[in-house]
Amino acid sequence: MITLVKQETFKLLHKKSTYAVSATLLIIMTIYAVLTKNYPKYWGAPQGQFVGMFTGATWIVFFMIAACSSIIAMEFQYGTIKELLYRKYYRGQILVSKWITMLLYSIYFYVLAFVWSLLLKVVLFNDKFQLSDTYQSGHSVIEAQWLGIIGTFLTVWLVLSLVLLLANIFKSTAAAISIGIIGYFALSIISNVMFLLMQKWEWLKWNPLNMMNLPQQLLSDSVHKMTLLSTPEMVCGSLVYTAIFMAISYVVFKRRSV
Amino acid sequence: MADTILNVEHLNKNFGKKQVLKDVSFSVQTGHIVGLVGPNGAGKSTIMKAVLGLFNYASGKITIDGDPVSPTSHKAMDKVGALIEYPGIYPFLTGYQHLQLFSKDSTSKDQIMDIVDKMKMDSYINRKAKTYSLGMKQKLGIALALVDRPKFVILDEPMNGLDPQANKDLRTIILDLAKQGTTFLISSHILSELEKLIDDLVVIDKGQIVYTESMANLESGGKKLLVLKTSDDAKAKDLLAQNNYQLDDGDKLAVIENDQTKMADVIKLLSDNDIEIEDVQHVHSDLETSLLNLLKNDKVKES
Ligand SMILES: Nc1ncnc2c1ncn2[C@@H]1O[C@H](COP(=O)(O)OP(=O)(O)OP(=O)(O)O)[C@@H](O)[C@H]1O
Ligand SMILES: [Mg+2]
Repeated sequence: MITLVKQETFKLLHKKSTYAVSATLLIIMTIYAVLTKNYPKYWGAPQGQFVGMFTGATWIVFFMIAACSSIIAMEFQYGTIKELLYRKYYRGQILVSKWITMLLYSIYFYVLAFVWSLLLKVVLFNDKFQLSDTYQSGHSVIEAQWLGIIGTFLTVWLVLSLVLLLANIFKSTAAAISIGIIGYFALSIISNVMFLLMQKWEWLKWNPLNMMNLPQQLLSDSVHKMTLLSTPEMVCGSLVYTAIFMAISYVVFKRRSV
Repeated sequence: MADTILNVEHLNKNFGKKQVLKDVSFSVQTGHIVGLVGPNGAGKSTIMKAVLGLFNYASGKITIDGDPVSPTSHKAMDKVGALIEYPGIYPFLTGYQHLQLFSKDSTSKDQIMDIVDKMKMDSYINRKAKTYSLGMKQKLGIALALVDRPKFVILDEPMNGLDPQANKDLRTIILDLAKQGTTFLISSHILSELEKLIDDLVVIDKGQIVYTESMANLESGGKKLLVLKTSDDAKAKDLLAQNNYQLDDGDKLAVIENDQTKMADVIKLLSDNDIEIEDVQHVHSDLETSLLNLLKNDKVKES
């Protein structure tokens, strides 16, 4: 299994896009930080930008959706799936090695964005606020950032498990990426409708889109009134949905004729 | 059983309702080069994929070196190298990186460079594969199948897109490896090339094995003809027939050669009777002719 993860990492590290994406992330974060410093009126308080890692948190979602769909779909696209599968390893192992690689990749992104946001804070906003300043609902700025990271990490993986499944079914990067991105951002559009419906039919609170509110709920308890779920319930809900999507992928991948 | 490396018994495979393999049984002797031939869509690639554990099959048994093979049983795959249909290639990796990626940890750099050298890929092995031509990709695919020095190698149409020199190089490599004990199962439509390689032949048509034979038997079974062109073919035909020579049915004047046939006797007979000989040719029936005859006459019906 370690060999397989190493092989997946080898492929990832030899793609130019891997480096381009990391550089893009840092550049965008820097641009937002500079804009926030120079035009605080339009870009909001620097504390808020710092908590959202200068929009890094959002960009990571895009980049991870693209990476997850490509790590599966590229094997079908390039015809390398046969070479992967005829070896002494089992199909399940091949798939799991890809998941692990993506898990490591997402952790890498969060660490990178976190470190860079700290750096930007020190360089640009050292006199503006302290990490220990109170931010929201009694949380300090740094606490708020961490809660945000943990929350998005869980919800991002809920989306990614769906993307991995779609890439597996459609064998195409485009389909998985578009549905993943639309799905992730559809939440903000339909959440009001969803909350209304949930008032009427309470069991709807268990739908996967509702789990996507976890980051907000971690930051402020008032969100609980809308989601109707306690924070532990939401954490479990996200994990269970992720597990379900992963399990379906596993079955689909094992059954696939190549 | 020690001397057969691959055993396929009563293999059946369906794609939906269409039965693609029907009760396929054959075996491959260790150290032999076996040709798998048949028309397009006969099921050659399907057999190879099943042997590589890529498919579930309805029924049957496949063993490599005694170990059963199925999608959930891949132990034997450690000894196998393969190229199926077209090589799978990552455009963003170089040829060398492909070999690094797919070779076992136990395969050394020297071993990798050895196969690169033999396939004459040195000049572009460190270039990204997206810049490769069809034949370069094909060579890389073959190199990937051979790099770990597997005991058993499966090549599906390996000569695809190779130039004459590369074809000859590939032949040398395969024959060398076979001498050292590597077993090959090769499918190809280029029968004239395949003929120079294989020890045994398996012919498949419409999902059924129609013929398995060693090349030695096949060659001895083929007719040898002495084709003549004379000033008066009709008269020559009568004359030869009267003298107990067996004649071929075709339009041309052709004597079926056997051990007793001597060209000198034929020429003497004709010239003694004032028939001028304009041209004489020995014609061997080759693999292509034998195979086309076989497939034309075979009794497999489409179901
Ligand atoms: N994935 C698939 N789904 C449905 N039918 C398939 C599939 N793969 C192959 N077939 C069918 O199986 C039959 C055998 O195909 P196969 O690829 O094994 O032929 P082949 O002998 O390798 O032919 P060729 O000489 O053209 O390579 C064909 O009739 C083909 O249509
Ligand atoms: Mg084929």
